[in-house]
Amino acid sequence: MNQTKEILKTIGFTMLSIGLFLVLWTFLAVRNPDFLPSPLICIEKLGQMMGRPISRVSLGGHILSSLRRVLLAVFFATLIGLPLGLAMGWSRKVNAFVAPIFEFLRPIPPIAWIPLVILWFGVGEVSKVFLVTLGAYVPILMNTVTGVKMVPPVLLNVGRIYKASNVQILREIVLPAALPAIFAGVKTAVSSGWMIVLAAEMMASRSGVGFLINRGMEAYDVAMIIVGMCIIGVVGYLISIVLTFLERRLCPWKTNLE
Amino acid sequence: MENKSRIKMSLQNISKSFHSRKETQEAVADVSFDVYENEFLVILGPGQCGKTVLLNMIAGLESPTTGKMLYEGKEYHGVNDGFGLVFQKTALMDWMTVMENVEFGLKIKKMPKEERRAIAQKYIDLVGLNGFEDKYPRQLSGGMKQRVGIARAYSTNPGVLLMDEPFGALDAQTRYLMENEILRIWEQDKRTIVFVTNNIEEAVTLGDRIILLSACPARVKDIYIPDLPRPRDNISTEFLRIREEIEANTDMAL
Repeated sequence: MNQTKEILKTIGFTMLSIGLFLVLWTFLAVRNPDFLPSPLICIEKLGQMMGRPISRVSLGGHILSSLRRVLLAVFFATLIGLPLGLAMGWSRKVNAFVAPIFEFLRPIPPIAWIPLVILWFGVGEVSKVFLVTLGAYVPILMNTVTGVKMVPPVLLNVGRIYKASNVQILREIVLPAALPAIFAGVKTAVSSGWMIVLAAEMMASRSGVGFLINRGMEAYDVAMIIVGMCIIGVVGYLISIVLTFLERRLCPWKTNLE
Repeated sequence: MENKSRIKMSLQNISKSFHSRKETQEAVADVSFDVYENEFLVILGPGQCGKTVLLNMIAGLESPTTGKMLYEGKEYHGVNDGFGLVFQKTALMDWMTVMENVEFGLKIKKMPKEERRAIAQKYIDLVGLNGFEDKYPRQLSGGMKQRVGIARAYSTNPGVLLMDEPFGALDAQTRYLMENEILRIWEQDKRTIVFVTNNIEEAVTLGDRIILLSACPARVKDIYIPDLPRPRDNISTEFLRIREEIEANTDMAL
């Protein structure tokens, strides 16, 4: 009984928060309708956009094309960041070799790469995926390094007692011990990748959510811009839910305990 | 006490120093003793006196600065299959179930799954964890975790079991229980045990022999042989007498 009450209370507060947000939005929209269309107008716009394709791609198609770029980039970022991070966390020599270059490249935001990337790869798919990869590999690499360094030395001794080879120690002890940290890095990579892909799509693209916002800007269609922004928010939220679910499946010892 | 005459392993003039830039610190100084087959040997010493270092050297995780170590009459260096180690802080893998933790050593040795599961099951049963095979360490109490550690050490069938203050982190009640349990397990599946502790009562409760170490650096100060039948009554006159005798001879740890 008490528990149901608690749940109802939580839902109540969530509804209240959404409601207040919409009221505030409407209030501001009524005063400046040219600069901020009201929620109702935006919903109407969303319906319109779902109804007919924009630039020959449906709304779902635009979302999928952005998502595809992010996932592809995170895949490549993991391919680079995970082994490199393992090696850097494991071996001081590798760390000394790679760290200076990494620390120098890291503060350069992916957006700053845009001119170079266009010069090298043009404005096609490759350059977009490349840009997102540039941002996504950083958290994966950093979290992997930290995860490996944080493996309790006593666990490595367990491996040594049984004369485990370095490969066995890495596979059986270091990798699983660092997995929660690595996965947290992948999570961060996906969400920052989702932000970068929009920037990449806004520079030049014929599909994707970033393209929708750009299209809205060019056509002075403020509602379209806002719908695009809302889609970013909602999809980002859904992504984080999916990742949390995946984490539970992947690291059951962390979360799935009764 | 019948087959105690055979020497299982021995330490001869073992010393260990650690060098830092400024000074050399001696942790273990000229320690020699024999360990007999199937005896329960307790190494007792004040806190931070080099007991863990001594045990790690026997296990082969650290090498002595000087001295010789023999296992079944042969000198050895580094990790030796003859030893199993129960770690101070359980050192279980969080991501492995009880079964996976216990079979870990056998898996590393590439034993086929079915075979190693059967062996692991035998020791899980021995330590009284039947029914907990699929639990993760986080779901276990402190005492149960250390049972897993004991089963893991047993699983590779070592001749000597090294135990590094295995019950140090347990509450008093659980500690008494586990002391009785380790004796039961040892009676049921006899091995040579080298058990390190800083607790005098625990030492007198468990040991066939007790090697008392001095404070830093650790030297052999005295050897006690409590001639008490098991299970030992920790308020009997003889028990208390030995306890007091050891206590009076123990260095203060600062």
